[in-house]
Amino acid sequence: MNGTDTEAEATRLARVWQDAQFALLALQLDPQGLGGIWLRAGHGPVREAWLASLQASGLQTVKVPQQVDDERLLGGMDLAQTLQQGRLVVQAGLLAQADGGAVLLPMAERLAPHTAAQIAQAQDQGLVHSRDGQQSAPARFAVIALDESETEEAGLAARLSDRLGLWLDLRGNGLADTLATLEALSPQELREAQAQLRQLQATPAQVQALCEAAWALGVESLRAPLMALRLAVIHAALEGRDTLDEDDLRLAARMVLGPRATRLPEMASAPDTAAATATDSPAQPPSAQTEAPPADATESAQAPEPNAELLVAAALASLPAHLLDRLALGLAPRTPARSSGSSGQALHSKLRGRPLPPRPGQPGSGARLHLLATLRAAVPKQRLRHRPEGSGKVSLRAEDFHVHRFGQASPSCTIFALDASGSAALQRLAEAKGAVELLLQQSYARRDSVCVIAFRAARAEVLLAPTRSLVRAKRALAGLPGGGGTPLASGVQAALVQARALQRAGSTPVLVMLSDGRANVSASGVGGRAQAQADALTWAGQWHSSGFAALWLDTSPQPEPLAQTLAQRMGAQYLPMPYVQAQRMAQAVQHMATQSRTL
Amino acid sequence: MAHAFPFSAIVAQEDMTLAIQVVAVDPSIGGVLVLGDRGTGKSTAVRALADLLPPIKVVAGCSYGCDPASGQALCDSCRSMTGAKRKTAMRPVPVVDLPLGATEDRVVGALDLEKALAQGIKEFAPGLLARANRGFLYIDEVNLLEDHIVDLLIDVAASGENLVEREGLSVRHPARFVLVGSGNPEEGELRPQLLDRFGLSVEVKTPQDLALRVQVVRRRDAFERDATAFRAEWEGANLKLRQRIVRARKAIGSIDVSDTLLHRCAALCHTLGTDGLRGELTLLRATRAHAALLGHKAVTADNLRAMAPLVLRHRLRRNPLDDTGSGTRVQRALDEVLSA
Repeated sequence: MNGTDTEAEATRLARVWQDAQFALLALQLDPQGLGGIWLRAGHGPVREAWLASLQASGLQTVKVPQQVDDERLLGGMDLAQTLQQGRLVVQAGLLAQADGGAVLLPMAERLAPHTAAQIAQAQDQGLVHSRDGQQSAPARFAVIALDESETEEAGLAARLSDRLGLWLDLRGNGLADTLATLEALSPQELREAQAQLRQLQATPAQVQALCEAAWALGVESLRAPLMALRLAVIHAALEGRDTLDEDDLRLAARMVLGPRATRLPEMASAPDTAAATATDSPAQPPSAQTEAPPADATESAQAPEPNAELLVAAALASLPAHLLDRLALGLAPRTPARSSGSSGQALHSKLRGRPLPPRPGQPGSGARLHLLATLRAAVPKQRLRHRPEGSGKVSLRAEDFHVHRFGQASPSCTIFALDASGSAALQRLAEAKGAVELLLQQSYARRDSVCVIAFRAARAEVLLAPTRSLVRAKRALAGLPGGGGTPLASGVQAALVQARALQRAGSTPVLVMLSDGRANVSASGVGGRAQAQADALTWAGQWHSSGFAALWLDTSPQPEPLAQTLAQRMGAQYLPMPYVQAQRMAQAVQHMATQSRTL
Repeated sequence: MAHAFPFSAIVAQEDMTLAIQVVAVDPSIGGVLVLGDRGTGKSTAVRALADLLPPIKVVAGCSYGCDPASGQALCDSCRSMTGAKRKTAMRPVPVVDLPLGATEDRVVGALDLEKALAQGIKEFAPGLLARANRGFLYIDEVNLLEDHIVDLLIDVAASGENLVEREGLSVRHPARFVLVGSGNPEEGELRPQLLDRFGLSVEVKTPQDLALRVQVVRRRDAFERDATAFRAEWEGANLKLRQRIVRARKAIGSIDVSDTLLHRCAALCHTLGTDGLRGELTLLRATRAHAALLGHKAVTADNLRAMAPLVLRHRLRRNPLDDTGSGTRVQRALDEVLSA
């Protein structure tokens, strides 16, 4: 069994690489229509190989660095040149330069939200407006987003990824798989294919089939079937055909719809789907096999009408086994982050917040020139700089530059770690939920956020990611199960991970622990009181060394010495609360939050 | 010049298209808040409407697009020109996008650095608010907008003019626009002051009906293949819609609002417990605009039934823990009031 599995996986990976090569060809043909490519690959030889193919393909790319300011992106005055030459020197923005080609975004998962918003807007309109809005330049480009995030981290922002037609995942590929390359198109071939592109059109039945397939796979966005349609048309154009056929649709379903699938369709387990999948892909993922009995080879896959089920099967055939398992279990694949990922986003932008007095510094890369302070610094030195009187110009040097400074209030985030194990009564859970909602009621006015981690059975789980949204909080806390052991160490560990992420993102985290301290599951998920308590103490010590504030609310009927020890080790304030009342809890947390804020 | 998708070709999303049309008839209603999923055609609809509306007459060369006919709302340079000297020109209705992460000087306007450095003169470089005057300001992800920009927008929306006092400038210019905000409520809460500024609110979802989805995809595809032909195809319907809106704008002054209807509006707001009186005022304006749009002479209960959810849905929040959308509560109160 192992042999066929690895063989199947190898074939799948080879196909993934082929698709990645084809994506480059397709992008050349219709960059604006396809939107772009989301390439998930670690920094390594596989990605380098793909980038080499990109260069060889002749597609014009413009690299947009992570820290780019508006002026460089959209176009505007080139300050240094202007000062040097004494007349206005305008630089075309990066997006305008990319017109007709592609924009390359390295480390796209860390792209600042406003840059992503600008790029998305330019893609939508096909135009960029200069800063003063008077001029606009055409900017029809594709976006190639290079995403280096690991599997568990939040990836590219949804705003961008929704607009990118092709999602490629090269993380499973090794260098050996990258030997096959497709030849780049000659200019002549490109022109012919582009002319062909304009002639081709899908039949209504084909559009229907793609939409049905997208719907069956739970792809919400309506951009997806549109882009699948375009890819099908591109494929037909590249093969020099006049009409679209099954192959084009299947390819489109595989490359565009498959990666976006959020659920498995209710397979009618018709035998003809099995035949279609058998001819279409040698790799047969186990879950699909259990649903459709294999090898009814008499059923022909040449249906006269495009069949949505065939497309769905084609789409699913390309997904790796673990993703299919997740879909089968009803877990949607990790949706991309709503804003940019929490992996090390710079906390203070140099342009946002309430204005503070200016300070000397160089403009550019985010900081904006404060003209008055600059002039004030330069004016006394005019005579020294031998400027003829009355020429009306001020001689500026780099040492005079002053930049704007802005101050941002650092919000705080309250991390609730709830003990949802059997020893805590369900009633206390309800009270804890009540307290969270009360806190959100108050914190929404102060722009603070709340995060909820629950630990029970063998591990800790983040129930509610840090959010200010009440809608999301209510939904996440609606079904909170209880029971099982108390994995205290895992709870503290999870809280510490969240706290560090929050600190990187610029918030001040504050922990509220609701537990009686009687740990009986160790950090590795194994039962055993001694080990569990030792682990809990270790992690409490870790929390203490991080320096974040914490509050321990002891939920046991009598103040529990175990809890007291842990609280002490953690450096947390200790408050016994045998009858947990939402109001009291909310007040205690608020009090502590204000304390930690003023410190 | 990018082509806009024809307004009459927009499929589904009737609530949103109706709300935008009503607001186009009477801009004093306030803006439209569109809450919902990504990719539901929100910005397409706004742009399509601006494209639909007849071009406006502006003072030639004025960067704020001042209305030559208005006496009050003129910028300083237009006011100083006497009537004869003002040349006019036609301009399409502006739609300005406020991108996420726009900085204050981009929104408000700032000292024109180029002129200051190159020529040494102090001049104001208008920002997004100046461009949006007499048009639409579309804010994407309005619930993620930064606090100080929200403060700015509330201020400008209330007073109708933008006052700039920074970097040695003191400029005041007209800034009347229709605010259209969109966002996903799961990502953050809107401040109640900003929420109140929006006259109407709509919830949009991606269509769940397969036939509708197919239709959306097909129309969009046809548009992107050949925008000119597609627009020509829908030109007739667009023209009819434009005439309806223009007629409604003219007729709105003469629409009759009976006392019983006013009582009903007040009763409705009272039952639902909305804060302040803005609910009633907006309801009045909205029902009147709706009646004008339909070509009626007087406001009836039908107009009230159509407009009440849009106007009151986002004003029900007494308790921040309530969900933002409360369409059912409005419906129930409406039935109660109208049957009495």
